[in-house]
Amino acid sequence: MKAVGAKLPRYDGIAHVTGRTNFVADLTAPGMLQARVLRSPHHHATIRSVDTSRAEKLRGVRAVVTHTDVPKNVYGHLEALGVPADEPLLAEDVVRWKGQPIVAVAAEDVDTAMEALELIDVDYDERPALFDIRLAFEPDAPEIHHWGPVFPHFGPHNHRRVRKGDVESAFEKADSIVSGVYRPQAIEHCPLETQAALVIPEADGRLTIHSCTQAMYFSLGVVAAHLGLALNRIKLVGGTVGGGFGGKVDTASETISAVLALKAERPVKWRWTREEEFLASSTRAPWHIELEDAVTSDGWILGRRMVTLHDSGAYSRFSPYGLTKHAFHHTGAYTIPNLKFDGFVVYTNRVPTTAMRGFGVTSVSMAVETHITRVADVLGLDPWEIRLKNANRIGDTTGNLVAMQDPSTVPVTLATAEKVGKELAAEYRTMNSERRSGGLLPEHLVAQQAPEGAHVLDKAGAAHGSHGTGTGNGGGH
Amino acid sequence: MELTINGVPRATASSPVTPLLTVLREEFNITSAKPGCEQGGCGACTVLVDGAPRRACLVAVGTLGDAEVTTVEGLGGAQSLAAIQKAFNDRYAAQCGYCTTGMVMAAQALIDGTGGSVTRDQVLEALSGHVCRCTGYVKIVDAIIAASTGEYGVDLAADPSQPKVERNRAPA
Repeated sequence: MKAVGAKLPRYDGIAHVTGRTNFVADLTAPGMLQARVLRSPHHHATIRSVDTSRAEKLRGVRAVVTHTDVPKNVYGHLEALGVPADEPLLAEDVVRWKGQPIVAVAAEDVDTAMEALELIDVDYDERPALFDIRLAFEPDAPEIHHWGPVFPHFGPHNHRRVRKGDVESAFEKADSIVSGVYRPQAIEHCPLETQAALVIPEADGRLTIHSCTQAMYFSLGVVAAHLGLALNRIKLVGGTVGGGFGGKVDTASETISAVLALKAERPVKWRWTREEEFLASSTRAPWHIELEDAVTSDGWILGRRMVTLHDSGAYSRFSPYGLTKHAFHHTGAYTIPNLKFDGFVVYTNRVPTTAMRGFGVTSVSMAVETHITRVADVLGLDPWEIRLKNANRIGDTTGNLVAMQDPSTVPVTLATAEKVGKELAAEYRTMNSERRSGGLLPEHLVAQQAPEGAHVLDKAGAAHGSHGTGTGNGGGH
Repeated sequence: MELTINGVPRATASSPVTPLLTVLREEFNITSAKPGCEQGGCGACTVLVDGAPRRACLVAVGTLGDAEVTTVEGLGGAQSLAAIQKAFNDRYAAQCGYCTTGMVMAAQALIDGTGGSVTRDQVLEALSGHVCRCTGYVKIVDAIIAASTGEYGVDLAADPSQPKVERNRAPA
């Protein structure tokens, strides 16, 4: 614990201030080629034909690759869990977002690679596109994937579910029902360093990959899966990331560079332009959140119904995982005994979305906290008091029936109140996180409380009178 | 065409319209100036041209003439840090490091130009064209003000091969 509170030098600080830090953009290799990628100019289109012959003949072009050059072109991040793949590395017969890669070129220099792109002939048949997740379920909505408008693999369901207690009866008993709709929007991570990779095909057949990835072993697995290589055939060099914020969790540049390097038998570097970073790198997802609380006139939250639509863009990538985190956090830092949550990962013809700082959680936290203040406004109560009253306490159970051991809602809320000079009545000022009892254990919170020392409630909740069926299982990781 | 980079004359074979950033990075292998947006918007490629901060991505090498170009390598190395570099390191003003060298050069130009302590407003003005996506700027601004007051301003041995950047004034 010597490090806590101590001022420690950054191990990379001197390198940063002297320009000695080597980002992927700064690296070269003997014989290195430069890559550029032809991206879809349409949001949604059928590809009738692709003709790369003119590009291949251009002086200085060393490799042109399409989906037929990729050993396993369609891959999914959740395949290891039995979820079918849905995203091609290079588009095959359909493009589903503006910016989707179709053909990649490696040439002696960037200018030649860009010139080659202009010599590639693609014949498109444009299709209607979907951008608004709220319209995805309409009968005449454009079909993005043949299996339907949502990622369908959440165990037995086509969406992530949370069920706890008896939400219908909670809404019957409520003094008021307060509803709200919250729509946090997409955000581009915008790291100063754009996506970049340098792939060196070694003489022994191995690949050395310099990558800006935030997720070394993840990227290793993705590249190996696409190329059909054993993990020990790839040496991934990384750890120097010029800003990521979640946007460099996706394997954005390594695999296409590797396919080119293998075909050209030369090192290949691919550094995205700023324009590509904005148009084609994944963003934080937009969400549509409908929230409804059953509340009593003295500020107890008896039940919550919530429906979330998570804009996944054209492919699922990590969205099922993000939505699962979102589902887990849909009660916020508060204990609500009766819950019905349904969350859908919805496809649109947008760039696929991904992790960003608090993946799936920032969206739901914004909705929940705004909503609690709205509840207070409707009831004419102090929003601080509602928060403290419903705050998580030891022995309270989460939406998926896990007993809380060390919740921090009360101390954090009190510390915040003190910092901002909020005056609280004594009964709130003296609150702590101990197990509920007396006035803080009204009838509606008895059944959800786990017995002392228990870590989780029985899934059926039978032992303690809850009628919940627990969370949906399987799917998103 | 001849250029003077960090006090050293260099011949370039690039055409006069080539961006200085490309020449530095690809011809001379000086990679401290970073390509962030390559359209003058982010400041990551900032170098000094006769002591003034310039976007290397927007400067055509043919326009440089006899001007002296200084990159962060010209301020100090790992064993010979300039005051501004010490301040950035000591005050955690770099996070991922990609924007850092450009910020350091802009800060150096500001301090050289004012010749002493700089105000917060002056720092904000000098950094207005520089984007950092990691730190939120507070530590960067604090580091520059601290460097300007001489807190890190122990002079280095004079090196005649180095450019005439007044990088290490004695504390006021």
